[in-house]
Amino acid sequence: MIPEQPDELLVERAKRGDTRAFEMLVVKYQRRIERLIARMVRDVDLVQDIAQESFIRAYRALPQFRGDSAFYTWLYRIAVNTAKKALVDLKRDPLVVESALSSVSDDDDETSRVERELTDGATPEAVLASKEIAETVNAAIAALSEDLRQAITLREIEGLSYEEIAEMMNCPIGTVRSRIFRAREAIAQRLRPLLDTREGERW
Amino acid sequence: MLNSSGSSSDTVRQSLSSLMDGRLDEASIDSAFSAWRSDAQARECWHAYHLIGDVLRSDELAVQPARDEAFLAALRAKLAAEPVPLSPGRRQGERAWRQRLVAPAAVAAGFVAVAGALVVLRGAAPQDGGQGALVAGAGAGEMVVVNREVIRDARLDRYLAAHRKVSNTASVQVPGAVVRSVDTVVLETK
Repeated sequence: MIPEQPDELLVERAKRGDTRAFEMLVVKYQRRIERLIARMVRDVDLVQDIAQESFIRAYRALPQFRGDSAFYTWLYRIAVNTAKKALVDLKRDPLVVESALSSVSDDDDETSRVERELTDGATPEAVLASKEIAETVNAAIAALSEDLRQAITLREIEGLSYEEIAEMMNCPIGTVRSRIFRAREAIAQRLRPLLDTREGERW
Repeated sequence: MLNSSGSSSDTVRQSLSSLMDGRLDEASIDSAFSAWRSDAQARECWHAYHLIGDVLRSDELAVQPARDEAFLAALRAKLAAEPVPLSPGRRQGERAWRQRLVAPAAVAAGFVAVAGALVVLRGAAPQDGGQGALVAGAGAGEMVVVNREVIRDARLDRYLAAHRKVSNTASVQVPGAVVRSVDTVVLETK
């Protein structure tokens, strides 16, 4: 069976009540969901609150998710609706500070990243840290052998299946699986020093 | 799972890599989940691999992992407070549903509120000596009950018909459960 939906394995388990599977999905999509919400709401704490609320709603609605759409598409809609509802509630609240709101836009924001981050209230340290992470990943990709770089690029950026990659690279599927894994692990090893967390904050 | 240097075995990391592409065989899933639970480095690995994918697609997603960890920790606390959304086949879920909807007084009277409609249960002890009783459901309007037989109203029929169609695939979520059929709702006497 070639799954069109890579999340199917995890979603099936989550629907049966396995919270570990749900947590893995959260880790997978949390950044994208927060970015989506951040286009609608400026306040960083509020973005996180809405993101949390979105995942809770998704958890409650899991039994109704039938797999007609991709899991992320379904999650995306829940997040947008949760954010819109939060904005409506905020606008009704006379105590709300105007700067917490930004205009609701469905299009990709053209606002420069730096400007948005400054208005988000993100610290310069946080901005620098994420730049460093981005640079490290890009440098690590460039340092990979051609085979590993191609495999992970085709998978992560082009979104091709193992079968499609095997065809393009003219190699067995097992080799594709192994190359993707080795590429990920090589990049992760470069990242780990940067990702070392503070004491007391453990996964 | 931990080798002498203290890092997760390559097998676990390979499994996680396959799992994130949806390409892990069923047999290996359980050990991957166990690793998630027991091994912080497995969790870190899952997070790192996904961060890498996100960053490859967009620099905007290069986020400090400490924030992501805090996010998951906060969410876990909230999830712990949630009732488990149940799927078909979980017998204990059905029992829990019945226990929540059947209050002792209602049981004695032979009536049970099911999502706002009142349904008479077979085997209920007669309380009204055969008199007809007009009963109001919570928000579902009224039904006429004579001699413990329900003279169904159209609303109940539509409700039951709709839920019978989906009863095989719908999940039972407490509260607000699906009634499979009136006949199979059995009274549990204390």
